[in-house]
Amino acid sequence: ARLNRIHSIFGTVDGLSGRFVSVFNYFKSLFYSKFMKPLRNGNVIHDEPPRKRFQEDFESTPLYIAVVTYINYGIMIVFGFLRDFLRRHGFEKTHASTEANDMKDFVPLYASFESFYTRNIYNRIQDVFNRPICSVPGPVIDIVERQFSKSGWMFKYTGKVLKNVVNLGSYNYLGFAENDGPCAEASIESIEKYGVGVCSSRKEMGNLDIHVKLEQKMAEYLDVEACLTFGMGFATNSMNIPCLVSKGCLIISDGLNHASLVLGCRLSGAQIRVFKHNDMKDLESKLRDAVVYGQPRTHRPWKKILIIVEGVYSMEGSIVNLPGILELKKKYKAYVFLDEAHSIGALGSRGRGVTEYFGIHPREVDIMMGTFTKSFGAAGGYIAGSRALVEHLRYHSHSACYATSMSPPVCEQIITSLHIISSTDEGKRRIKQLADNCRMFRQGLKKLGNIVYGNDDSPVVPAMIYAPTKLGAFSREMLKRGFGVVVVGFPATPIAESRVRFCISAALTEQQLQDALDAISDISDLLQMKYSKKK
Amino acid sequence: FQAPLYHYIVEGLLVVWIIRLLFFKSYKIHDKVPLTTKEKDELIEDWEPEPLVPPLEETRAVSKPYRVVSGQPGKEIVVDGYKCKNFASLNFLGFVENERISKAATECVSKYGVGSCGPRGFYGSFDVHLELEKRIAKFTGTECAIIYSYGFATIASAIPSYSKRGDILYVDEACCFAIQKGVQASRSNVVYFKHNDMEDLESKLRHQEMLDKKDVKKSSVTRKFMVVEGIYMNTGEICDLPRLVDLKYKYKVRLFVEESLSFGVLGQHGRGVTEHYNIPVEKVDMMCGSMEYSLASTGGFCCGREYVIDHQRLTGLGYVFSASLPPLLACAAIEAIDIMEEE
Repeated sequence: ARLNRIHSIFGTVDGLSGRFVSVFNYFKSLFYSKFMKPLRNGNVIHDEPPRKRFQEDFESTPLYIAVVTYINYGIMIVFGFLRDFLRRHGFEKTHASTEANDMKDFVPLYASFESFYTRNIYNRIQDVFNRPICSVPGPVIDIVERQFSKSGWMFKYTGKVLKNVVNLGSYNYLGFAENDGPCAEASIESIEKYGVGVCSSRKEMGNLDIHVKLEQKMAEYLDVEACLTFGMGFATNSMNIPCLVSKGCLIISDGLNHASLVLGCRLSGAQIRVFKHNDMKDLESKLRDAVVYGQPRTHRPWKKILIIVEGVYSMEGSIVNLPGILELKKKYKAYVFLDEAHSIGALGSRGRGVTEYFGIHPREVDIMMGTFTKSFGAAGGYIAGSRALVEHLRYHSHSACYATSMSPPVCEQIITSLHIISSTDEGKRRIKQLADNCRMFRQGLKKLGNIVYGNDDSPVVPAMIYAPTKLGAFSREMLKRGFGVVVVGFPATPIAESRVRFCISAALTEQQLQDALDAISDISDLLQMKYSKKK
Repeated sequence: FQAPLYHYIVEGLLVVWIIRLLFFKSYKIHDKVPLTTKEKDELIEDWEPEPLVPPLEETRAVSKPYRVVSGQPGKEIVVDGYKCKNFASLNFLGFVENERISKAATECVSKYGVGSCGPRGFYGSFDVHLELEKRIAKFTGTECAIIYSYGFATIASAIPSYSKRGDILYVDEACCFAIQKGVQASRSNVVYFKHNDMEDLESKLRHQEMLDKKDVKKSSVTRKFMVVEGIYMNTGEICDLPRLVDLKYKYKVRLFVEESLSFGVLGQHGRGVTEHYNIPVEKVDMMCGSMEYSLASTGGFCCGREYVIDHQRLTGLGYVFSASLPPLLACAAIEAIDIMEEE
């Protein structure tokens, strides 16, 4: 069994000889017997369970797994250097594209070490990312088959299609990725009426009547004064934060915030401080220091302080401790920016996101941001809040001035799905179905003995894999059994915390989820992934 | 060496004193008495932040409300109820009201739905995205292309994925807002040259060349890029591409051209500013464009050599971390390129 475990861990590293195995066996048994203590505290229990009880779970990494994971990286790095050496001296053919011939004397575009990770680690498991699909991204998808060369560097399309793969990866929380039904019909009608393009920005000739309608409906739905929509979710964050804070202001940002928020913070020119993910104590100490000591060097007081958090964190599956944040906000007179990309539509009894989940009125949050990509099955983003905020952004937001407005069929999709969510029984059914599916799947996964991160109610369910080579194996094995999953490793996660992330959809049936759990159980045995000690 | 005893004693004491000065902690005046909790609480009580945004009346005073367009924003447009001829949209080829494009988009919705529900890495890559990338590469005559889901995010993501801290960007001072944001996000050293003034650009390049000769080690790792627009959004002028290409090879500076406005407009086939000047497209390192103007869809693209472009698939922020382009918009863009080629 031990050998089996080792093989499963290092199985995908080619060229590993049996000699290493005995060494690792020794290491592993050593750590097994002596140091099997958790690396960090098991449960994160939030200070004050608010109107809703928190079930946030971050089981610690077993020490021997951490060690094995680092050894795993070590081996890949050693082999990477070896193969780089061989490639440099022409013993191994390199498949990488090269610089143009007449530009060989330019300064190299990439530092050679920068791409080491891509070349020697990412490329080995390249086949599990960027899988092209050729169907609606609903509960089952058709994947275009690719055949990779042994080295993983090149692939060709076989011309075959893998039909009806169960989709556990798309952000289709409420199942609005549909090619028929009311949403698709309405979108098609709007193409007939408006066409596809707008060719102008909101400030110029791109403010169509349906954009105005969407904003009104969205503001009503969220129960806020006003709302402003944008054509891309990523740009909603990165282009609007600079309109709210500037030099002399302070941003206190959660350590696991999305890249778009981080970019927005950087572009704003404000000071950025980071607090530990969802840790209210750390946030409070940062806020306290900020207000008491003011700006560094000049010691002037900060103009304003903006706390930036997300509703549901897409890699951890955790839900923000909003009651805690709002309490601190009041105490220290800060402003709160809440990114509901993954929570709008997916949390709360009527799908109104994390504020409804906690029973908090959305007006208590200064800036409500969200995207239409996920629950609404469309594209774009919004910012909602007080009328003063929205009007300010309407005239100063870079996105509103310079970027083209949202395409009419996309806009229509949101209006229709929003109508279904907010005022029909079908919408209620979907929201309930999603909540049931999430709980059923997460509990099932925990029962199997996998380490599952995050909140019990979150639609994002990450299960830990740890070793990078297992990422590839897990995803390939799942695909073989007819399930499409998303695996994520460094740099999207900490280096030793690679994981598989399941996104649950209301469109998935209980049977599909049960089959998925069976398959996961099977593969987890094969890859020795049932790390949890709680079981 | 005759000296009185007291002299040795004094000298000895001095030596001891120096040693003491050297090894003992320096004397520190504690001017900072740590604040007590009560004082901190008072400070927190005292602090009054600025309002998040100016009051509503103030915003209203300086701005006009948006005009509302009802119906299709084509060559005829209804603005605030007035029927007008449209001289304001960037609908250069009139594709907004094109029937073929609408039909392609409609068929696409019946096959794929509207949203893509995922980033390119995670089941958000559709076969139509791959086809569109191939079509753009073929149309522009480049090796490979990459598409973004928003025109604005294209160049703003592309610049920082190559140019890092310490690198140098030569940027036209009249460049559009998206370039400015990309430049800012890259945190590189930025040198602005006078609008479309090649003499000014060359003098700045020559100056840098002189600096480089002094510090060869540093200059051998400092990447340099020129960022220009095909047609400038702010001035409507066309860039002097032949001179820029000369300068590129003379001073070994890579050249990025942002062609949002010139794509579909300049050149016999609408391939942009390279075709306009009859310059082989390989001479430009990266060509960025928007699909929101001539193609009347949404999104943007970058094309060039595979060696250059593929890098963005792992480092272009707007590519990696954003949901992919809705398939119907990709279909519309493919159809638009088809029409450009055929008609």
